[in-house]
Amino acid sequence: MTEATIAQPRQVRRGVPEMVVDRVWRFFCSVRAAIVEIAILALLVLIGTLRGSSVPRSLADAIPATTPLVDAWYAWDVFRSLPFAAILTLLSVAIAICTINRAPGIWQAIAHPTVTTTHGFLRSAEASALYESPLGRDEFVKQIGEILGERHYRVLSAEQNGEIHLYADRWRFSRLATFPFHLALIMILFGGIVGAAWGFRENELIVPEGSARELGHGTGISVRLNDFSEVYREDGSPAIYRSDVTLIRDGEEIDNGSMTVNNPFTHGDIVFYQSGFGQAVQLRIVDDSGNIILADSLPLGPFQSRLNPDAPAARMDLPQAGVALSVVAPDTNPTNQPELDTLNLKPGEMFFMIRPLGTDSPIEQPVPATVNQGESVRLGDLTLTFERERRFSVLQVARNPGIPIFFVAAILLIGGSMVTFYFPHRRLRGIIAATPNGSVARLAPIARRDWSATRVFDELIERISGETGLSPDITRREAAPA
Amino acid sequence: MESLVMLSFYCFAAASLAFVASAVCYVVYAIGRIRLRRTALAAPGGPAIVTHGASLEPAPLGVGSVATLLAWFGVVFQGISILLRTIAGGRVPLSNMYEFSSTFIFLAGLVYLLFERWYRVRQLGAIVLPLIVAMAAYVWYLPSHLREVDELIPALQNRPLMTAHVSVAILAYATFAVAFAAAVLFLIADRWHPSWLPSPDLLDDLGFRAVTVGFPCMSLVLVLGSVWAYRAWGTYWQWDPKETAALFTWLIYAVYLHTRTLRGFRGRRSAWILVAAFGAVVFTYFGNYVFGGLHAYGGV
Repeated sequence: MTEATIAQPRQVRRGVPEMVVDRVWRFFCSVRAAIVEIAILALLVLIGTLRGSSVPRSLADAIPATTPLVDAWYAWDVFRSLPFAAILTLLSVAIAICTINRAPGIWQAIAHPTVTTTHGFLRSAEASALYESPLGRDEFVKQIGEILGERHYRVLSAEQNGEIHLYADRWRFSRLATFPFHLALIMILFGGIVGAAWGFRENELIVPEGSARELGHGTGISVRLNDFSEVYREDGSPAIYRSDVTLIRDGEEIDNGSMTVNNPFTHGDIVFYQSGFGQAVQLRIVDDSGNIILADSLPLGPFQSRLNPDAPAARMDLPQAGVALSVVAPDTNPTNQPELDTLNLKPGEMFFMIRPLGTDSPIEQPVPATVNQGESVRLGDLTLTFERERRFSVLQVARNPGIPIFFVAAILLIGGSMVTFYFPHRRLRGIIAATPNGSVARLAPIARRDWSATRVFDELIERISGETGLSPDITRREAAPA
Repeated sequence: MESLVMLSFYCFAAASLAFVASAVCYVVYAIGRIRLRRTALAAPGGPAIVTHGASLEPAPLGVGSVATLLAWFGVVFQGISILLRTIAGGRVPLSNMYEFSSTFIFLAGLVYLLFERWYRVRQLGAIVLPLIVAMAAYVWYLPSHLREVDELIPALQNRPLMTAHVSVAILAYATFAVAFAAAVLFLIADRWHPSWLPSPDLLDDLGFRAVTVGFPCMSLVLVLGSVWAYRAWGTYWQWDPKETAALFTWLIYAVYLHTRTLRGFRGRRSAWILVAAFGAVVFTYFGNYVFGGLHAYGGV
């Protein structure tokens, strides 16, 4: 052979764009990079989780020098931050590319595995079994193949140098389960994006009993709370609470329903959830001309009054009357900081006060009054009637078109992981050769440091031995420490 | 109802005693194997110890069998305790830390015994049973009013989902406890090669198998929690601290699985990841003490 006949590897010059694409592809295919990305994501999740706990505060209390760091920690909304979005995006792309990259190899192993092996592989396997059979080579191959077939193994063979090379495997298609599992992770993120982009979520729709509130979000729907009921336990905690609502669009009632926590009310693709409740006060305010300034229920709770910070309170601007109205209810827990309660209201009473609002307010000074239920009072040139105490209901309303995607992804996620773990691809190789006295077969599992796979192989060998009546010579490469 | 609750507590007390006795026996068994091995080595023609797989039974060793039997007693008593509480409350007891931890003790014991039966490795009990005893001590330490059976608060009034979500979480934690024990024994076996432990490969495989049960369970916990959150709050993910703590735990075990199956991590590195991952489990388990948010109930 002359030098001229030796094929020299051709140096293929690649352009910069091709090299960049190749590098990027390799980066996203890298399992090591994916693991680092998962680790970084886990770290960010941990930081975000601790932010929702008292741990950083305890740290600051123990080491005052860390207070600025802890303040920054609490201020950083990790899960809505750019680094978090970036790592999620990076990981999603890596999952997609990594999975695509692995697909040909996996399919090759399933559909067209390499059947031939070497004696070196079999000898160096952690476990191998050597059988000597009086049967001829082909008969012995057939016998082993039948036994393996009974155990649902696919058996492939090929002749090479007068020997039969054998490859057998079971549950080969379970290798495909990695695809639905990883697809599911991307689908969950996609479902979240779909929900955020094409759905809406109203976290706090406060509707007083007997009143209606617009839902908004382009639905044209108003929600009227017809009735609110609650049942309390002996210790005073709520056992169950229920809202009965009517949905109104263009002045017409379009649906009725009721909801409790864990039992939402659905109208089309919009779901209404019972979230909370509180005390409300039903008022009627008219001016001297008989104009109705307010005839509605006012939720108490979100506002804190200086006159009694513990008590349910509310504040509302009435611009058409040029005043701001404050309402304070009796203290629900009079024993808690009684010194702060400057009103000392009795059950059934309600404290009202109007303050000037704007430059042309009809009043110059705040006008307070304590009113009993069902009574009226003059506040400036307004007549306020405290009609009755009521309840308000806090609803959450959502339309989430990403939910079906999430449910499909959940099934793929669980199903994929279970198939992967509980139906692992089991493989073994062997070489069967003819001898003057019959034939000899050496079998070994493809199982590097895999105790379970070795045990499956042991069971298989036991079965072959039982059915053939042969005693194998079992070799273990590394004796386990005693 | 009160008598059933009281009877349930007595069964828990009996289970606690059985678990304590079992833990002592498991530790004695592990120590006994060292002495047995030394004796075997000292005696010419002593018993052949075949150590492939888990066939580490050179001679009948009474204390090991007693340890297993006591552990079964503990599991049965704890199971009866939970059953009685279920009858008394009309629901599976999972709503506060007393009930949650009681069910954890039951499932951790059961999962351990199944792994012991599958792998025939009793030495694992010297780690798992003390963990169970520590949990039992924690349950005893909890405020006594938690022993009463209370009605569910409105947020928990979804019995099918609560039962599925919480019990699968406990099952996941129980299997992770077994994986942790296997990792600890692996590190001991790998560092000092003691004769009383089974092969490191077996321990490595045992830890992996435990995670292959726990990881899908943990995935299911996140999925069922999301389904429940959607049912109760209208969104399947709220970035609530308890949710994200569970996600953190899931991610750590995902790292373990990927490094093991795709990067060929075996042995020491995998074992250390399992130890760290169990730290995440403990963090998630007891997170209610420090977390605010939507899971800030549970009677702690």
